[in-house]
Amino acid sequence: MIGEIKMKLSRREFARIGCRVIIGATAGSAIIESIVTNSVASEDPPKGEYDWKEHLWGYVIDTRKCIGCGRCANACKLENEVPFDEPVYRTWVERYRELKDKDVKIDSPNGGINGFIDDVPAEEINKAFYVPKICNHCENPPCVQVCPVGATFSTEDGVVLVDYKYCIGCRYCIQGCPYGARYFNTEKGTADKCTWCYHRITKGLLPACVQACPVGARIFGDLKNPESEVNKILDKERINVLKPDLGTKPKVYYVGLDREVR
Amino acid sequence: MQPHLKKAFTLLAIAIIGFIVVRSFIVPVSFGQYGWYRGDAIIDSMNFEIRHAGSATCGEENCHNSIYSIWIDSKHKTVNCETCHGPSEKHVNNVRIMPEPVNDTRDFCGMCHFKSAARPEEFPQIDPDTHGENLRCAYCHNPHKPWFV
Repeated sequence: MIGEIKMKLSRREFARIGCRVIIGATAGSAIIESIVTNSVASEDPPKGEYDWKEHLWGYVIDTRKCIGCGRCANACKLENEVPFDEPVYRTWVERYRELKDKDVKIDSPNGGINGFIDDVPAEEINKAFYVPKICNHCENPPCVQVCPVGATFSTEDGVVLVDYKYCIGCRYCIQGCPYGARYFNTEKGTADKCTWCYHRITKGLLPACVQACPVGARIFGDLKNPESEVNKILDKERINVLKPDLGTKPKVYYVGLDREVR
Repeated sequence: MQPHLKKAFTLLAIAIIGFIVVRSFIVPVSFGQYGWYRGDAIIDSMNFEIRHAGSATCGEENCHNSIYSIWIDSKHKTVNCETCHGPSEKHVNNVRIMPEPVNDTRDFCGMCHFKSAARPEEFPQIDPDTHGENLRCAYCHNPHKPWFV
């Protein structure tokens, strides 16, 4: 008969059990949460005088100025303990040569460190130029997304770093980077990449490649400072980034980038 | 509560507590401090050893300030000391540790100055086959204050 279905629990009993379940679940999840996150998430910047909230680093490469001497790639290897005799680079220089028959030759022998050999006579070349390459320190970095262990990350000041103690060397990030800016460091046994010389910029110095460039083709500065040289160039020049269609939002801006450059 | 439920809940509770205890040992203290990574990794990156001291350091009082004052007025003022002389932070901290000797071959100067189609035209370039009779560049040109001969 309809209406005869009755709960065996009394109203009071039901309320009591209900309250216990809710309080228990809340307390339990709070305890688990507090232990799992280890400590209360702190918003303080890392120790020391450097405040990473005051900066957002940016990098400009003027391809019209580059002379292809490769001193940047050389200085980078020496500054950052990149295996010198292995074909791995944090920054390198590419040479693009568009021939008269519209064939495009792209090369980067040893990253440009030993210079370039002219193996095509000048009469056959339509146009030629050098393009320095470096990690773009994307605002939306694919390499960070694919890391399974949280060993690579974006800092508050816009630099993508690797945690060498935490990296398991799975190489996903090397495959994930659309710019080929990452390499496997056989000495460390981890993935490795340009840090924009984080140990230098946090002490007020310039990255080693910027300091080494003899023609000022590489400009480094703070995007949060309206007076910085990087911001002045971004306001004045016609700039582009590499592979803008990927949505990675690079923070390395190129002046005078040719359509052939990928 | 029925005994079989009691058993199941006890097992579940032990599993959860076990997970929490093991996790607290495995996960580093600073993990999650700023995001899904080890916060101390930033300190590690900041503490990496500096190798390039910078030209201003070379030009300090009682060091190389005479050659520095010549260089800073020259066309080569954009070429930092360590671009040719090599990383010198160790030398700054201990003068007995000398930086690598300078490569004074033609090919080294040629990395910037040999004629190349890819270089900007206004940049000073020479044809190594017709210029300088295979002499060392420094035979005629002062690298610290270059001039046209």
